[in-house]
Amino acid sequence: MTVLLELRGVSKTFAGNRVLKDVDFDVRPGEVHALMGENGAGKSTLIKIISGVHAPDDGGIIRVAGTEYKAMTSRTAARGGIATVYQELLLFPELSVAENIFLGHAPRTPLGSLDWSLMRRRGRQLLDSLDSHDLDVDAKVGTLSVANRQRVEIAKALSQNARVLIMDEPTAALADADVRRLMVVVKRLRERGVGIIYVSHKLPEVFELADRVTVLRDGALIGTNPIAEVTEQSLVAMMVGRDIAQLFPKPVPNIGEVVLRVKGLSFGDRVRNISFELRRGEILGIAGLVGSGRTELALTVFGITPATAGTIELDGRTISITSPRQARDLGIAYVPEDRGLQGLVRPMSIAQNVSMAALHRVTNGLFMRFAAEISLAAEAIARLGIRTRGPEQIVGQLSGGNQQKVVLGKWLATNPRILIMDEPTRGIDVGAKSEIHALMGKLAQEGMAIVMISSELPEVLGMADRVLVMNGGTSVATIDRANASPETVGAAMTLAGQSVEMAQ
Amino acid sequence: MTWRKLLRHETILALLSVLALIVLASQSDKFFTVDNLLNQGRLMTEVGLIAIIMTFVIITGGIDLSVGSILGLVAILLGVFWKNLGLPLPIAIGLGLLVGTLAGLINGIIITRFRVPPLIATLGTLALYRGIAEGISEARSVRGYPDWFFVLGQGQFLGVPVQLWILGAVTLVAAIILGMTVWGRGVYAVGHNETAARYSGLQVDRIKLAIYSASGFAAALAAVIFVSRVSTTRSDMGTGIELDAITAVVLGGTSIFGGRGTIIGTVLGLILIQALKNGLSLAGIKSDGTIVLIGAVLILTILLSNLFHRNGNR
Ligand SMILES: Nc1ncnc2c1ncn2[C@@H]1O[C@H](COP(=O)(O)OP(=O)(O)OP(=O)(O)O)[C@@H](O)[C@H]1O
Ligand SMILES: [Mg+2]
Repeated sequence: MTVLLELRGVSKTFAGNRVLKDVDFDVRPGEVHALMGENGAGKSTLIKIISGVHAPDDGGIIRVAGTEYKAMTSRTAARGGIATVYQELLLFPELSVAENIFLGHAPRTPLGSLDWSLMRRRGRQLLDSLDSHDLDVDAKVGTLSVANRQRVEIAKALSQNARVLIMDEPTAALADADVRRLMVVVKRLRERGVGIIYVSHKLPEVFELADRVTVLRDGALIGTNPIAEVTEQSLVAMMVGRDIAQLFPKPVPNIGEVVLRVKGLSFGDRVRNISFELRRGEILGIAGLVGSGRTELALTVFGITPATAGTIELDGRTISITSPRQARDLGIAYVPEDRGLQGLVRPMSIAQNVSMAALHRVTNGLFMRFAAEISLAAEAIARLGIRTRGPEQIVGQLSGGNQQKVVLGKWLATNPRILIMDEPTRGIDVGAKSEIHALMGKLAQEGMAIVMISSELPEVLGMADRVLVMNGGTSVATIDRANASPETVGAAMTLAGQSVEMAQ
Repeated sequence: MTWRKLLRHETILALLSVLALIVLASQSDKFFTVDNLLNQGRLMTEVGLIAIIMTFVIITGGIDLSVGSILGLVAILLGVFWKNLGLPLPIAIGLGLLVGTLAGLINGIIITRFRVPPLIATLGTLALYRGIAEGISEARSVRGYPDWFFVLGQGQFLGVPVQLWILGAVTLVAAIILGMTVWGRGVYAVGHNETAARYSGLQVDRIKLAIYSASGFAAALAAVIFVSRVSTTRSDMGTGIELDAITAVVLGGTSIFGGRGTIIGTVLGLILIQALKNGLSLAGIKSDGTIVLIGAVLILTILLSNLFHRNGNR
């Protein structure tokens, strides 16, 4: 059988740290080859070697369409028809959607100048082929939601007539409906004979899409199998090296008095007249489609976009929150949706990031206590199982899932009373996910009030004591745990306009 | 780990400075004399004060082009307050420093409140402040300051020029603030990722306001020392000093994109530039040649340090 791309004995060492060990890998035309493994297993590194971002160690061989390379460059990758949608989005926020899609290979007029109208038309076609009719080719990418930015990335990869399309956790940022749309696109590409490398932590997706699956653990190849020969259990065991006890470990909640009461909260027309209560020890799940205003609600409560109407009560006292600093000082923490832009300062170390929202804990009022800072970070690393060389490692060098854990660690370091988490387990592997869920359960039991925004319905249903469903910027239903099911919540998410009250 | 990374550029720079000193010393026997070196320190102070604070500005990803004009404006006002308004000189100095700080604060307000990019905001005030200075002075110069005033720019303390003590103190305080305090940490965070800094509860706008005000203050202090050193006041004082300061900062390894930089680096950059200027002129090379050489050194150092930085990053 022909292969489009083949790797033999590829290794990669970062600063003496061997993160890929003698890996073999190949992609055939018209297949979806899933690449799986825990956070930090080396998936993104493998991908970056294929796309020419990193050069592998000596000794390995990469064969693309019959040509052998010791190392790829972005140029040889492009020539070999390899296109990549990276885990961390790499778009230019100030440029338009069309400009981003065609950056570096824009269509030209016979005179050699950029052919703007063709560019916009082809961009339109590409987006339409992704079922993104609602995405404007002239919109600035910086103004788009994460899900839409992801679509632009995919369109960008497709615009280069890829024969091998690499997707590094493409659905991590997408809501269920968007995931469906993406899977349709992936299947269509497979029919056209494109070979697709698909990295994901989501098992159902992998079982639906993949033809073969390769598992990495600690940089070593554990195996490549046809999908029919593996089960969920065997796959998880291959990845983690042990069995996972329970998927949504939810301890018996210990719900106390109301800590946060929001009444008629609005921000322009993005958040409209929302009221809810949050109790000590409670996990309030917020469900809704992308664009339903969930993140905007969180931003309003956290003071990034201060409310234009309505009141917020903390412990029965009416307060107005006009800045993140104020929210933080009141004991509110927000783990944001976009970790690269809002959550982390990537060029700084883990220690510097973990302390950033809790600087008061690592100073004597004026001077930094560097030792205290390091131990604060060490605490977070141990508590969340962050895979790293140490507190002084640069966050940008961590794997995506481990970066997410740093954001979490940073906000837990503030010892918040109210923790708002926006897609808390995005890009986190199955093992670590259940650890984070366990931690959430434990924090709630200790009295923290948690708001969890999630696009993963099973996560919301598994962890939340109550589910607030949003649609079109307003809350359409509040459903308590006993009544929350994929049907009730799903229906409320897509039903516009009417309010369903199912809580007692 | 991070320390080593930061120091790498500074090490290159230090080696380069030593090399320059050796070469220059061999060209002229006047160069390596205590008198000459101290005198160079004197000449370096005004740019130095401005460059030290400019380091903060550039680390936040900003720039302040208006410092030269603030220097000129304060120099003129000093003369006006003292001579034309008849205020006691110490009060005139105090007022001058206040005006400089306010001018910086205005830059900060334009940048943070109205979201004007720093380059454009301070390009505007560069013209504005210089224009005001020229309007006030009407091309007259002020002379005849009392003798005690010249101590600042011409006197010595323990054998070292007075203004060098001031520069030393400012440098030390700045280095401590930037490298060891919570506030300094905030400066770096803002420079690398303003959004994340804001989401972390840092007071981004306040940090910037403080830095631009400090930049105005530094320019005003430089103005007072300048006037004292040359014993006269003119409205074109400080023209182009912003470029010298920025060159020293960038040569010192501060990233123009923000987030990276140290005070030590800036000090080394200042020393290297001053040594080149002085050494070359002693060796009889025209000032055009010196500028070309400084440009070449700037590009070379940045290239070298990028070369080392490439590995292991990202
Ligand atoms: N530029 C770098 N410098 C140093 N170490 C790096 C660098 N890039 C990645 N690493 C390390 O290599 C290991 C593998 O990282 P990689 O990003 O490939 O993981 P991953 O399998 O994609 O994980 P995730 O599921 O979390 O995205 C990690 O331990 C990471 O810290
Ligand atoms: Mg990854």
